[in-house]
Amino acid sequence: MQDANKITQIIIAEIRETVPELADQEISASDAMAELGVDSIERSEVIIATMEKLGLKIPMVQLHGPRNIGELAALLATKTAG
Amino acid sequence: MTMAAGIEAMNVYGGMAYLDVRELCDHRGLDLPRFENLLIQEKSVALPYEDPVTFAVNAARPIVEGLSAEERSQIEMVITCTESGIDFGKSISTYLLKYLDLPSNCRLFELKQACYSGTAGLQMALNFVMSGTSPGAKALVVATDISRFALADSKAVQEWAYSEPSSGAGAVAMLVSDTPHVFQIDQGAYGNHAFEVMDTCRPGPDTEAGDADLSLMAYLDCCSGAFGDYARRVEGADFQTTFDQLCFHTPFGGMVKGAHRQLMRKLYKAKPDAISADFEKRLTPSLAYGKRVGNTAGASVFVALAGTIDAIKPDAPIRLGLFSYGSGCCSEFFSGVVGAEGTRRLGAMEISRKLDERYQLSIEEYEKLLTGSSTVRFGTKDCELDRDIIPGAWSSSGKGDTLVLDRIDGYHRNYIWI
Repeated sequence: MQDANKITQIIIAEIRETVPELADQEISASDAMAELGVDSIERSEVIIATMEKLGLKIPMVQLHGPRNIGELAALLATKTAG
Repeated sequence: MTMAAGIEAMNVYGGMAYLDVRELCDHRGLDLPRFENLLIQEKSVALPYEDPVTFAVNAARPIVEGLSAEERSQIEMVITCTESGIDFGKSISTYLLKYLDLPSNCRLFELKQACYSGTAGLQMALNFVMSGTSPGAKALVVATDISRFALADSKAVQEWAYSEPSSGAGAVAMLVSDTPHVFQIDQGAYGNHAFEVMDTCRPGPDTEAGDADLSLMAYLDCCSGAFGDYARRVEGADFQTTFDQLCFHTPFGGMVKGAHRQLMRKLYKAKPDAISADFEKRLTPSLAYGKRVGNTAGASVFVALAGTIDAIKPDAPIRLGLFSYGSGCCSEFFSGVVGAEGTRRLGAMEISRKLDERYQLSIEEYEKLLTGSSTVRFGTKDCELDRDIIPGAWSSSGKGDTLVLDRIDGYHRNYIWI
């Protein structure tokens, strides 16, 4: 199982990559992507990119539910446990 | 099995009125800094005297009118495909039989699987034709859907907010036969992907509920899953090179773009520039009509097909890959071929010109329709429609070629041609 904090940093980096407007914005684990102004298509792209970085191949629908970046990272961490 | 089969004739009907989507977003105070990402401009709005029956009949009428008496007598099946049904028992296809003056020796039914319904109907019709049980028989498949949910109160409008800008109305009629002048199906070339999920639904009369993120995730899972199943069945199938054009179910163009990008990354590790160029070349034509009518649910993937043919105007055969998705969920990737004959026949339907003729609703008029008491709700027993609800929208050209709902007597809907 990978470290959730590391995954949080990957997610935040992918958010900045996907939405250039947020490049300089402070982003933390307690932020929700929607509230940062990341739209639904961009949210899915952040998740896809993060899964690629983690080498994770699972259905997207298994990643539905987290309310913020930290929760998403924690869920992704459990999925990397195999 | 060498008999050709596919779509002999098809037509798109986008109703009598539309709304400018940017005006709606501004009015709702939706903060959409990247509005262009939605890839939608207008959406059709069903007027009180329009319903899934009028949309379906108006889509099919030019096709049926173009047939000889003998050809019309060969229509042996009418399938309506919808998630906007008007009765739990009686299917919309019964009204089609009447108002299109079709033969009485006809198999009539309606089917449902959210936005996948049109594809389910098409595949059932194709299998009927290819089975050869009734040589020369034709089937009329009509996908027809309207969105008329946000009734009652402001709370309902809020709940609908996630999909209000994209929810449209429209119908696509397809005559399916062994003379596929418009779209010849690649027989045996299809792939399905399905699983149980509660992403969006219509849990009661005139209501819709959903989760935009979950629906997008299910759509993405299905897109790669259905193409994967297609590739498993079709030797040598390659997403990038097998299809000249692609048509996806289009809730809004942005979602299609997301799915295409995901697939290109997954299958080819393609870079953003290459993905954008491929989208521009192979998918932008499919948005030609979708961006003008909004999400037409069961009809949507065929609205995309018609858009592609009318935008590209192929003068030699090209292969199209189609992806259909319906919440809940079921999906299919399939393919077929369109050539010069299809271009000519679809062009004769003048879909674009008819969309131009729609009445543009003001926000005030739209709001009046949403919250007004004029709406015909599911289960209405008796009612007389107010033709003057939106002055200017009622067609007074008097050609007698557009069907509208006139009144309901004891649940029985009565329509007139105007």
